[in-house]
Amino acid sequence: MADGECLPAMDLMRSEPMQLARVIIPMESAHRAISYLGELGLFQFKDLNKDKSPFQRTYATQIKRCGEMARKIRFFRDQMNKAGVTSTKLTYGSVMTLDDLEAKLGELEAELLEMNANSEKLQHAYNELVEYRLVLKKMGEVFNSAQKKATIQHREQEHRRVEGSIDSPLLLEQEMTTDSSKQVKLGYVSGLVPRDKSIAFERILFRATRGNVFLKQDPVGEPVVDPVSGQKVEKNVFIVFHSGERAKSKVLKICDAFGANRYPFTDDAGKQHQMITEVNGKLAELKTTIDVGQHHLVSVLQSISLQFEQWKTMVKKEKSIYHTLNMLSFDVTKKCLVAEGWCPVFATNQIQKTLMQASTDSNSQIGAIFEILHTKEAPPTYFCTNKFTASFQEIVNAYGVAKYQEANPGVYTIVTFPFLFAVMFGDWGHGICLFLATLILILREKTYSSQKLGDIMEMAFGGRYVIIMMSIFSIYTGVIYNECFSVPFEIFGPSAYACRDPSCRDATTIGLIKVRETYPFGVDPIWHGTRSELPFLNSLKMKMSILLGVAQMNLGIILSYFNATFFRNEIDIWYQFVPQMIFLNSLFGYLSLLIIVKWCTGSKADLYHVMIYMFLSPMDDLDDNQLFLGQKYLQLLLLFLALIAVPWMLIPKPFLLKKQHEERHRGEAYVPLGALDDNLGPDSTPRSHGGHEEFEFSEVLVHQLIHTIEFVLGSVSNTASYLRLWALSLAHSELSKVFYEKVLILAWGYNSVVILIIGIIVFIFATVGVLLVMESLSAFLHALRLHWVEFQNKFYQGDGYRFYPFSFALMGDDEE
Amino acid sequence: MGFLYTTLMFAAIGIIASLCARICCNKGPSANLFHLTLVITATVCCWLMWAIVYLAQMNPLIVPILSEGE
Repeated sequence: MADGECLPAMDLMRSEPMQLARVIIPMESAHRAISYLGELGLFQFKDLNKDKSPFQRTYATQIKRCGEMARKIRFFRDQMNKAGVTSTKLTYGSVMTLDDLEAKLGELEAELLEMNANSEKLQHAYNELVEYRLVLKKMGEVFNSAQKKATIQHREQEHRRVEGSIDSPLLLEQEMTTDSSKQVKLGYVSGLVPRDKSIAFERILFRATRGNVFLKQDPVGEPVVDPVSGQKVEKNVFIVFHSGERAKSKVLKICDAFGANRYPFTDDAGKQHQMITEVNGKLAELKTTIDVGQHHLVSVLQSISLQFEQWKTMVKKEKSIYHTLNMLSFDVTKKCLVAEGWCPVFATNQIQKTLMQASTDSNSQIGAIFEILHTKEAPPTYFCTNKFTASFQEIVNAYGVAKYQEANPGVYTIVTFPFLFAVMFGDWGHGICLFLATLILILREKTYSSQKLGDIMEMAFGGRYVIIMMSIFSIYTGVIYNECFSVPFEIFGPSAYACRDPSCRDATTIGLIKVRETYPFGVDPIWHGTRSELPFLNSLKMKMSILLGVAQMNLGIILSYFNATFFRNEIDIWYQFVPQMIFLNSLFGYLSLLIIVKWCTGSKADLYHVMIYMFLSPMDDLDDNQLFLGQKYLQLLLLFLALIAVPWMLIPKPFLLKKQHEERHRGEAYVPLGALDDNLGPDSTPRSHGGHEEFEFSEVLVHQLIHTIEFVLGSVSNTASYLRLWALSLAHSELSKVFYEKVLILAWGYNSVVILIIGIIVFIFATVGVLLVMESLSAFLHALRLHWVEFQNKFYQGDGYRFYPFSFALMGDDEE
Repeated sequence: MGFLYTTLMFAAIGIIASLCARICCNKGPSANLFHLTLVITATVCCWLMWAIVYLAQMNPLIVPILSEGE
């Protein structure tokens, strides 16, 4: 199951052995070498220029250039989104250098900006002309109707005058001429004002000019695009008649304040017609120009979209290459770059080959030099996982990344995590539903992995192998609990129980008796629906939880033994592993033994009583609670062992550690200083001899005290914590029983098809929503907690750091 | 007797499963050990669960009392 890169592979049990390596690359092949190493993805660079600010680093200008290009690419993407052009996933074969790409991006950006500015200007002019046309139309109507009324009135006056005396026309003419000279010139302003401001507009005009203006407004039917804001606004066409220059300036100022656009208007009918035809012609022209511009823009964007993805990845890659190059330092001759970093031991050949390839491809005279350094620094943790084991390893890493080369709980988690989930979920009908749902995800893996899924789907898809393991184990435990949507089946033969006598009189009072062999596989189907079902199942499941818990905790302690052996820590084996095993097993191992003996013999002994009085009055006789011969003496022995295990865990280890530390340091005073200088490399801070911290005895003692108390108290609390296996399994079976009996069977009882269909729908929704989703999440969480706390605190340190190689494949899409 | 036979059956299934794993994906000694660990752990877990349920029903202290209406 290990993937190809890991051959010759180490077990998933311990992280890969890592080495600190130094690579010296000549300048001309540096860029290419880093690029190839990025493709390979197995080298984690250390930052050798940590004390320099980002602007002091060598390649800061290149990074700025890449940043500029990334900004242009984001701009293109926004433009493409606005125009509704999607980028295709095709990668074209044309390879261009960074400089070419930069030039191309620059000219495309200038072109797009210019096109956008032009189209904006054209649009502005278009909107203004539309408004002008409206003014011309409306005011033309107003003037025409007013003209008609005026001519009618004038004719009437004329008639009346003609009917008068002969003398009077002379006077009237004089009157009329004097009248016309005394008349003040009427001016007018016309335009459009937004409808919501029109009333205020009118009022302010009236007040400002002391009522000496005449305002006529006419609403426009549909909203008009305002040239200034570009939004559609409801507007009114207005015309204001004023007399005098001062009134005119006031009117103009008020128009500007209200954002009313003004347009010139002539009262000459002929000129009006001319203006209208002119405006119509200009509008048609502008429309075609704008359309042509839009087409051009879309075609340019489409040509960009074909190469968009390729450019984007190229810019990202270049930026990351320059970031990495910034981490390298110059050597003494200033002609080579020095890189330091971690890489797995198995990848040494591959890295050397890659470096050679880079040197030959860039036609450089010198090859790169690859040397291994020795250091006391803690290496990063790297597990070679494939797509199946990766999700389980993620579960373990979520709690804490393993220390370098300590035992990985992930190995056992692959089986025990789905198993404990299944103990809490046991129902083979639900298990089959989960299995089918996850099977779909797995069969369509390829399509889903290339799509972008929502957050929840992403999590479910990422954990598909975990869920399918969980469902397979759930089917198994469902068969053992004999529950399929809470209905038992007699698959493995007849039930072991039958009535005491043929009339079955006592079946509901005293109960049945066991007449045959035990039901061979799982819980007897007779139990479902009986009155003593819960007492029986509760007792069974509680004892099962204790047995499973003690087994898993023992596994944890045994893993700590393997860790101690691997790191050659004798003290831990004798003064931690042994007393821990003794303590846990003399108490809870003994309890498990009692449970099994009680089941095998069928005795009526009260185990609570036995365990409690083992501590309170160990010398008392057991009488009815005796399960086997010599039990009292065994209990005394186990109690004694448990009591001495506690100081055995607590006291010897700090003293031995102190002795060890002293021995190590006694010899060191005579070793010349030069031999201790292990850490080569330009950034090594001078470390103390041998890299040890100071040894504080009180600190170590307190640490050991905390550890001992944690273990002793924890053994009780952790064992009790496993009872959640019982609790959740009870909850699950009760919920599924309620849904089955109170929904489905109830609906069946009505003998009506409509109610039956409604009942089935409610049953399906309740099962999927509550049992398959909520219960799954709940059981998942609790199984997770049991692993992270009760299992892992027996042996797991989890204070390592992860191996993050420089790899193009691992670069996420950080722009989204 | 039923307990012993079924335990032997579990053991046999475990051995067959590890042989299948060895035949299907033989990828070097450390990977083989890993697969073997997984198969043995799964077999032990399944057997443990079955054995606990079987033992609990061998000599029952509580008997089923049917509810009215059965």
